[in-house]
Amino acid sequence: MTGLGFVVGVLGVLFLSHAAYSTIQYKNLLKITEDEFSGPPMNVVLELVLGFMFCMHAALSVPGKFQSIHPDSEENRVVSLPANMEFMIFNHRGRAIISEMDMKLKL
Amino acid sequence: MAGGDAFEKKFNEVSNDIPIFNAENIQNNMKIIYYSRTFLSIVGGVIAGILGFTGFAGFVLYFLVMAVTSVGLIAKAKFSVQSYFDSWNRVILDGFLGGLMSFVLFWTFAYDIVHIF
Repeated sequence: MTGLGFVVGVLGVLFLSHAAYSTIQYKNLLKITEDEFSGPPMNVVLELVLGFMFCMHAALSVPGKFQSIHPDSEENRVVSLPANMEFMIFNHRGRAIISEMDMKLKL
Repeated sequence: MAGGDAFEKKFNEVSNDIPIFNAENIQNNMKIIYYSRTFLSIVGGVIAGILGFTGFAGFVLYFLVMAVTSVGLIAKAKFSVQSYFDSWNRVILDGFLGGLMSFVLFWTFAYDIVHIF
């Protein structure tokens, strides 16, 4: 997924440099007609906005995904169900300990 | 099961006292924010240079770009900022001034290339 984001980012940078080149040509044209530079032409502005949106998408997808910081979230599991069935335990001493606490609190 | 409920409640109170976070993931998330902000500051600087902004308007554009970046980062965290960061300030304010310097650098760079040479 980051590969696609990278390509989109390169595309955005290409749009930006093409917009810069168009603006340079536009200024040369203005030098000929002796007008003032009030702002780049509309298609350059459109190209800049498009390039910015592509770069935005790249900046959000290329560096990687956010990872949860809670130690008890699903992706931070240290232990998962053992693939090897021999290590699964169904009877242990916790059952005796909890019923002992039960009896103490009821007193 | 009244005794069992009291036991569970006491257990939960103790475990909510000090929030422990996975430090490696916090660092990873901060790195992602830093990269995103720096890259978008540079892009914003180039755009400000091409559009020919001088003075205050450029800084207004920088704040606009940073605000859009914050919104984008919050959207990337699927709007549940609490599960990826330890405070809201990280997503909104962090990396602001570092990006400002890159922005001004590329702003002057692009302005020189497009308008002066």
